[in-house]
Amino acid sequence: MSSVTVAMLYMLFALGGVAVYLALPGGQRSARIAGLIFGLSAIAGFAVLAAGHLFGEDVSAVYFCILAAVAIFGAGKVITHPKPVYSALYFVLVVLAVAFLMVMQEAEFLGIALIIVYAGAILVTYVFVIMLAQQSGASAVDGRAREPLLAVLVGFVTMAAVVSQAGHLPGNSTAMVDAPDAALARLAVADGIPAVDEPGEADDEPLGGSNTAQVGFLLFSQYVVALEIAGLLLLLALIGAVALVMKRVPRDVPVAPAPPLGEIGKEVPPF
Amino acid sequence: MIVEWVQGQAQLVFSCLLALVVVGVMLLGVAYSILAERWIAAWVQDRRGPNRAGFFRLFGSFHFWGLGQPIADGGKFFLKEDIIPDNVDKPLFILGPATIFIVALVGFAVIPWGGQVQIGDALLNVQVANPDIGLLYVLGVGSLGVYGVVLGGYASNNKYSFFGGIRATAQMLSYEIPMGLAILVVVLATGQLRLEEIVLSQMGDGDVWNVVRHPLACFLLVVTLFAETSRTPFDMPEAEQELVGGFHTEYSSMKFALFFLAEYAHMITGSAFLMVLFFGGWHIPFVPGLQPGDTAWWAMLLKMLVMAGKIALMMVFYIWVRWTLPRLRFDQLMRLAWKGLVPLGLGLIAFALGMLYIGKPQAWVWTLVGNVVILATMLGITALIPSRVTGRQYDMPELPPRTSAPASIGGP
Amino acid sequence: MIKDEDIVVVEEPQLSAAERWYIPQIADGMLVTLRHLFKKKLTVHYPEQKRDLVVGNYRGVHRLNRDDQGRVACVACFMCATACPVNCIHIEADEAPWPDREKYPAKFEIDELRCIFCGMCEEACPVDAIELTPVHDLISLSREQMIFDKEKLLEMYDQTKNLKPRKNPQITGYPATGDRREGKPADNEETAA
Repeated sequence: MSSVTVAMLYMLFALGGVAVYLALPGGQRSARIAGLIFGLSAIAGFAVLAAGHLFGEDVSAVYFCILAAVAIFGAGKVITHPKPVYSALYFVLVVLAVAFLMVMQEAEFLGIALIIVYAGAILVTYVFVIMLAQQSGASAVDGRAREPLLAVLVGFVTMAAVVSQAGHLPGNSTAMVDAPDAALARLAVADGIPAVDEPGEADDEPLGGSNTAQVGFLLFSQYVVALEIAGLLLLLALIGAVALVMKRVPRDVPVAPAPPLGEIGKEVPPF
Repeated sequence: MIVEWVQGQAQLVFSCLLALVVVGVMLLGVAYSILAERWIAAWVQDRRGPNRAGFFRLFGSFHFWGLGQPIADGGKFFLKEDIIPDNVDKPLFILGPATIFIVALVGFAVIPWGGQVQIGDALLNVQVANPDIGLLYVLGVGSLGVYGVVLGGYASNNKYSFFGGIRATAQMLSYEIPMGLAILVVVLATGQLRLEEIVLSQMGDGDVWNVVRHPLACFLLVVTLFAETSRTPFDMPEAEQELVGGFHTEYSSMKFALFFLAEYAHMITGSAFLMVLFFGGWHIPFVPGLQPGDTAWWAMLLKMLVMAGKIALMMVFYIWVRWTLPRLRFDQLMRLAWKGLVPLGLGLIAFALGMLYIGKPQAWVWTLVGNVVILATMLGITALIPSRVTGRQYDMPELPPRTSAPASIGGP
Repeated sequence: MIKDEDIVVVEEPQLSAAERWYIPQIADGMLVTLRHLFKKKLTVHYPEQKRDLVVGNYRGVHRLNRDDQGRVACVACFMCATACPVNCIHIEADEAPWPDREKYPAKFEIDELRCIFCGMCEEACPVDAIELTPVHDLISLSREQMIFDKEKLLEMYDQTKNLKPRKNPQITGYPATGDRREGKPADNEETAA
């Protein structure tokens, strides 16, 4: 990446950060509109920056751009939408867009697993909980961000730092360096869940072919400790949740005696 | 130039054509399943069912046994007033039925319809798409189906709709687990996620349909399919005696019709899925033309017909069950999922893993014996644990002994 | 007040071991519905096929009976209009052109939309001139058509006299009345002649 490109990237991230800060719920209407405009211009800037590298090589880059734009737009809406239900639904949109990005990177298993786990289970539970909690309308806490400036600063500085390091990622290619968004997407894959196509790993395996088999093989060979720890963590969380909600009914405390049979209903006059 | 491109992309063009045909046939199938539902409902109740709507009486007074009924119904739905009540969350109100119908339709992309077909030089898959993760795709798309119900219930701003949405969420989340376990049994046994490969694994030499190998997993999948499509006896989300209409109380006109049709589309997708996993898809043993080697165009048509026939049989089963079994209560529903089906599924998984460990995941005699053993164990456990019929709460105080003589009614 | 002896304690039946499997019960039910699938249907193809209405006292559309000379049997006594709980009967009386009675209805209208088919008019009629027929498929294209005038009511009699013959009891002082059904001797023959 040329230094001019990197500088422009940082500027775009700054613009995006300002946009998100302005658009956070609780602000003034004019500020939120300004945030929307800033955010759109930041996305457009990314598009212009990436356009030179993407087009001309492959038609599928068009899909990539559309999906990436949808994902970024959705992510911005998750943060800035004042209604929690809509936030959760935009989260679903982000998950779907990112899942399709993964499918485009030939990581079908990860993509569909993301949909099943996130969109199909976790976010449904979110929506469920929000619906239950919002019976009497939105609470005042939902109307504003808690630490808007700090959160935005930390988030976007981290993102910029990550992108500036994209060139040093394992398994990078020139396409990844030139397309920061793709690197981001790839990074999201590499973070937490091991990437399928790490150099020298999957390609050398005799399994070949099936994406799922490769993921499975990696999970149970190289990353088996991480997998077990993750499983243990979930189990602990499960036990903790049960321990939190379980109401212990003491056995020896006598229950209030039921009224004698003849008395049941006697206090209620018939019609 | 176009001709050359088409020849180069034969599978793509064929897939697009197939998608068009499948969606068209499926929409027709959905419309006629509603007619079938009404017919079977009527026959079970010793009535005749809708038999009037014909085709403009083109042939005198002959009614075509009411086959025009779906068209009349559709026209009626389109012409009804489309009411969007005040105080609803309008974007979500519209998004709900759209989501549920889209989800019901796209699940069809990976169902194998008829093996392979030879057209010109190319050997084409009779399948819209054949991804590595076909089975997971069906699961993923199916898991999105709950959003339509939840959004509809939430956006309606109506307590009954809301209850329906809540019930739907809890029910579908709970039943996805035994469903996943049942599917996992097949995946462990075949080692494949491609639906076409799963079909092929049921028709080799010495192979049998998966329903013979894993009858309990098949039973599990059938039960969970009923729950996932919210069909009786699991139609709690729209229990009309308690919830007016459940999540679609506030919907009218074509939006209601989308909910209504999506239920049947879900049923058809689920039936196709079940047939592929457990009943050999387009295959019937020993019938020429239905074997994997047959790639002529007429064999393809025959296979598609067989597949459609199997789906139709499953649909009849769905409807038959609906007009037989009463609805469960919600706590019974949850108890069935978590205390009945999930342990059964875990047992089956453990057994399938064991078969995999000894290297005979597909030896059907042994899996069958194992299934019988698991079934006997489960039934033994249920028989040993006493439980009341109606699920009376256990911490209720005991009733005091009677003092007076019992009245005449209700006594033994 | 609920008395002690009125309280019935219903013990929930304990399921037997076999019943707790539920599967046999489900299979049983499925078999029942399967049998009904192929049973003979109880309903008929309605407009083409009609059931024989076996109920003789079905309360359908009204009719005005004719006497044995084909004249309207009504004597315009207004008993039915008075008895009618919804006031759907409108009668205008005139001097009878026949010697055997004083009055006859110049106009006799029943609003069938307003009528509740209670049969009070039939009960009230002293000469059994108004009767309810077993005709139940009453349809029309407008409200006006549903107001039955005298001609229409007499026509109803012509249509249904084979289905349900007129009762026609003998009334003292009114020689036109009396049972003229076949096989019964007429006791007012000399008057008619």
